[in-house]
Amino acid sequence: MLERPNVIKHYRWHMGTWAWVLHRITGLALVFYLVLHIWVIHNISSGPKGFDKVMGVVQAPLFLFLELGLLGCVLYHTFNGLRIMIVEFSKEGCEAHKMVWGAMMAVAGFLFLLGGVPMFVHFLHSIAG
Amino acid sequence: MTEKRASGGFYAWLLQRITGVVLAVLLIAHFIVTHGLPHPSGVTYARIAPRLATPTWKVIDMLFLACALYHGLNGVWMVLQDYVESEGMQTFLFGVLCVLGAILFFLGAITVIPFAVQA
Repeated sequence: MLERPNVIKHYRWHMGTWAWVLHRITGLALVFYLVLHIWVIHNISSGPKGFDKVMGVVQAPLFLFLELGLLGCVLYHTFNGLRIMIVEFSKEGCEAHKMVWGAMMAVAGFLFLLGGVPMFVHFLHSIAG
Repeated sequence: MTEKRASGGFYAWLLQRITGVVLAVLLIAHFIVTHGLPHPSGVTYARIAPRLATPTWKVIDMLFLACALYHGLNGVWMVLQDYVESEGMQTFLFGVLCVLGAILFFLGAITVIPFAVQA
């Protein structure tokens, strides 16, 4: 059986466990969301009336606010995942792992603002009626 | 922890990365196309149904579904292997994840594949 490259143990030691713990927590949260999402979207088979009724519930202000957390989980998990791959697959990436971490989190942060600010405004409009 | 438990095998490791990259691309596209980011608009039947009914999007959505379920449930399996010591319990939980994956894939497939716009 092929063994995983030693680099996996290497980056875990150097990047600290908290990036790894956060990857797990956001990953588990996203699986939980995925199950609900598949279940909710299944209602599209019932036609426009049934679907729009369900979507009205899941697009209530509370959920629009919680979606900011969803965006955060997705972006952290995505860009930390890309960081893991860069560090695993590239020697240069492994050597400059702190810079890779900074760059990935900067992109994730930028996209969080790009998507999150309009989502927050959308949420504010929804409570204003 | 033995090496056997710590690793899900090379192909599981590789597939987690391949599906991860596919998901990164499809998820960002999903936020833009379905949710209208960076100009969020509510999801209504009238807005999304015509697109979901096209063969191209059915293929994309089935790929999305398969990758998301594999990546997510394989991730849960990796977490479980770290915390569940008993091999019998691990086998049982692996079975539970497989059944859950099959049910969700089926539910997604019957939603996506036969979909046609209704009046």
